[in-house]
Amino acid sequence: MLGYSLVNALGACLIITSMTVVLAKTVRASACLYSLQSLVLVAILASLGFVTGSGELFTWSATAFVTKVVLVPAILLFTLKKIDNNVNTDLTPKINPMKAVALVAVEVFICFVAVSGIDLPTAVEAKPALAVSLAHFFIGLTCIVIQRSIFKQIFGYCLMENGSHVALALLAPQAPELVEIGVATDAIFAVIILSVLVWRMAHYAHTLDADDLCELKG
Amino acid sequence: MTIVVAVLQAILLVALAPLFSGITRKIRAKMHSRKGTGILQDYYDLAKLMRRSEVREGGSGLVSRLMPPIFLGCFILIAAGLPIVMLACPIPILGDMITILYLMALPRFMFALASIDSASSYTAIGGIRELLVGVLIEPSLILVLFVMAIAVGSTDVGFMSAAVANLQATPLVAVVVAGVAFAMACYIEMGKLPFDMAEAEQEIQEGPLAAYSGPSLAMLKLGVSLKQLVVASLLVCIFLPFGSASSLAPLDIFIGFVVYVAKVLAVFLIASVIENSVMRVRYKILDRYTWFVMGIASLSLVFLVIGI
Repeated sequence: MLGYSLVNALGACLIITSMTVVLAKTVRASACLYSLQSLVLVAILASLGFVTGSGELFTWSATAFVTKVVLVPAILLFTLKKIDNNVNTDLTPKINPMKAVALVAVEVFICFVAVSGIDLPTAVEAKPALAVSLAHFFIGLTCIVIQRSIFKQIFGYCLMENGSHVALALLAPQAPELVEIGVATDAIFAVIILSVLVWRMAHYAHTLDADDLCELKG
Repeated sequence: MTIVVAVLQAILLVALAPLFSGITRKIRAKMHSRKGTGILQDYYDLAKLMRRSEVREGGSGLVSRLMPPIFLGCFILIAAGLPIVMLACPIPILGDMITILYLMALPRFMFALASIDSASSYTAIGGIRELLVGVLIEPSLILVLFVMAIAVGSTDVGFMSAAVANLQATPLVAVVVAGVAFAMACYIEMGKLPFDMAEAEQEIQEGPLAAYSGPSLAMLKLGVSLKQLVVASLLVCIFLPFGSASSLAPLDIFIGFVVYVAKVLAVFLIASVIENSVMRVRYKILDRYTWFVMGIASLSLVFLVIGI
């Protein structure tokens, strides 16, 4: 019982850290906070491994540490270094980010209502954590919608990705390593492709503002 | 016996309030690289004001005359009811969160009423600012106390204090997040920069204070510094009650008191450092900050509902 309450408490930490990722003023801070969030994710995977006694989850947490705590933030920071002197990367969001906190609270609540209807044997104890993982999809979406900087929108994608990772670990703790490799490589390659896109756009258009980039079409 | 504690702690808080405000003034002076006045300056100011005769504005009525004693009295009442040195309210009827919220709202209401009652036009603007801060921050305060009341199962602040001290307030994350939101709300309630400057009576922000003189002004000045102390105590009582006395033994009470003073001093120190590293904001953009507090408070409610 203590094990699952630890998982749920870590889920709450995941929400708080993802909020700081969305609220951070600079891309550099966002990347560091994303690394912190992934560390919480690793802790969730490890504690789930303890609770369910599944050996796979420990290898998951190890690979998640390498890919999400180290590699993804490193790629993002590298891209930032590449484009930093060309364009302004720290654009202000479209809405007051402080209001986004209340929005996140509403999203978590709605997700909990949605999750409470699910009756799965693996998800009885960890329903709050499941709600948190579902809410991450919406937090990521919120990040993509409210941020003007396309660089910051990458973080929205990463948050969604973290949410799906937690959901997978909660619902299928015994899943083979292959599935995990799929999730991890997905994150890495998507971030690499997005970073290259951001770098190319910064190189040619000299702006990262999504509103300005709309005018490029045609 | 508990009534004695209640009376003693009310007297003590009233006696200590000018000292704490003097300490914050000293810290501000030090951070501005000034020498500053001594930490006892507020006592001298109050003594001087008490000796002066009272001058009233022409046209001001009963409300203006009643406001200073009501303002001070309400905070003395709250001070008597808080579980400051013990883990229970000395007078339970005063320690109810709804009573506390209303006792905090009444001075604000009287303050605003007095600002309209005064003949000066500046005071009304100050009163509006005060009301605006109240409207923006009180919902968060109420929400956080509501979360605590559900987490603990009682609206009595003493119960909240005891439950947090024994780590029985569940769910834990919701209580911690509520504590963060409450600390922010308390900071704004204390009337610190960037929201307000509690001791600036000559400016527009604390409007009605400009219309008072003599003993009334002394009462209001004491009331404003007592309000800061009471709000800081509220935070310390509910969310940081560790070290308070669990029994009525004199030694426990004494230790509880020493720990309480240390905690409140720490809160004041942190608040002063934050206050002196920011600048005042225009009241039109106050809501940006209060939305954040509201967001965190609602997040704690959501965590409470989903049970983490």
